[in-house]
Amino acid sequence: MTTTTMNYSHQHGKPEKVYLHPVPVRLWHWLNALGFTLLILTGLQIRYVDLFSLMSFETAVKLHNWVGFGVIANWFLWFIYYLFSERVTNYHPDLDPVSFFQRYFRQAGYYSWGYFQGDQRPHKVQPNDKFNPMQKLTYQFVMFISAPVTFLTGLMMWDVRRFQGLIEMVGGLRVVNTVHVLMFILFVGFIITHIYMGFLGKKPSSHYKEMVTGYEEEH
Amino acid sequence: MNAKRHVLVIDDDAVVGRSFDRVLSDKGYEVDTARNGEEGLKDMESQDYDVIFTDIKMPGMDGLEVAERIKARCPWTPVVVITGYGTEENEARAHVLGVNGFVRKPLTPEMIESVTLKALEKPAVELEAANEPEAPEVAAKEQLIGMKKASRVARNAGLFLAAPFIALGYVIALPAVGFYMFAKLGYEAYQKKRGSK
Repeated sequence: MTTTTMNYSHQHGKPEKVYLHPVPVRLWHWLNALGFTLLILTGLQIRYVDLFSLMSFETAVKLHNWVGFGVIANWFLWFIYYLFSERVTNYHPDLDPVSFFQRYFRQAGYYSWGYFQGDQRPHKVQPNDKFNPMQKLTYQFVMFISAPVTFLTGLMMWDVRRFQGLIEMVGGLRVVNTVHVLMFILFVGFIITHIYMGFLGKKPSSHYKEMVTGYEEEH
Repeated sequence: MNAKRHVLVIDDDAVVGRSFDRVLSDKGYEVDTARNGEEGLKDMESQDYDVIFTDIKMPGMDGLEVAERIKARCPWTPVVVITGYGTEENEARAHVLGVNGFVRKPLTPEMIESVTLKALEKPAVELEAANEPEAPEVAAKEQLIGMKKASRVARNAGLFLAAPFIALGYVIALPAVGFYMFAKLGYEAYQKKRGSK
């Protein structure tokens, strides 16, 4: 009944490090990082065939398709893991909008001002509540909305004939293509911000270490 | 069994601790108060408590973290979370942590007494089951635990699947709320400036 993820060293009376990122989450995260990097590179090659010459157009398309399927499979790893894990609370919505938005903007204030003044983090990270409100909303949007929309539009363009009916229903291939590119821009923006925010730990390497070892670095 | 029951109240608002003391001392309880999580956890080292109440919003460690740490040390100790504003999310998290109850402010003497009695009932039932229990009792208890677990899993999954819809609503509302927040801050700053003149 009880989830006790915070362990204590009885010998020294000091709290041990909190285990924040279990193996499936870390595996999914780094596979995603690799997958999205490849998708961005091959996507750029496909779209700007005259500007880049990383690989042939044909190779770029093939690689983009295969990696795309890999990333979709990886999304299901994330989804199934969280659906049946007690850590699912990390992705639970905040049902009190007033409290949520207050904490959201407090966090925004911390990132834009408080962090540089050495203020304490407004959100206390815990295994079952590891995301601050800004992270939570971003990850919910990215994982539940952006990623599936990107996958779906990608699939539609992968086999236009098979998905002809669906493509017509949503307004044609141009609409599908535009949405896919918009999602691509959003992902690139997300990844750049994500990498930057990753440096905002106690030390610039703290969050990166956490994502490798699974344990929270001291704050 | 006639020994005094020990109650610990962790709340940064001293009034809450005093209210518990006033209500429960008359009923034969020994009430200790702590002003934050660290102090409360320290008190636990020197005293075994029969029930612990903790406020949810406190400077430093919040009530759910305090509850988690208490449950890590003494899983059998009933923990009741006191909150000024109950949210579904907090309640869900509290359940995951194995918290025994949730009580909302403002507190009345009747609420304090009834929630204490209710919290004290739980370990008593568990202890009875642990000490040579009769088969039907064990089966009933296991069934109850199974049902609770199933309902928690269903609730967790339901909230997980509802997340995209609520997130989309919040994302749509975000610019308007942000604008309102900035306007409010500006107005308050303006009022302050006017007041200081």
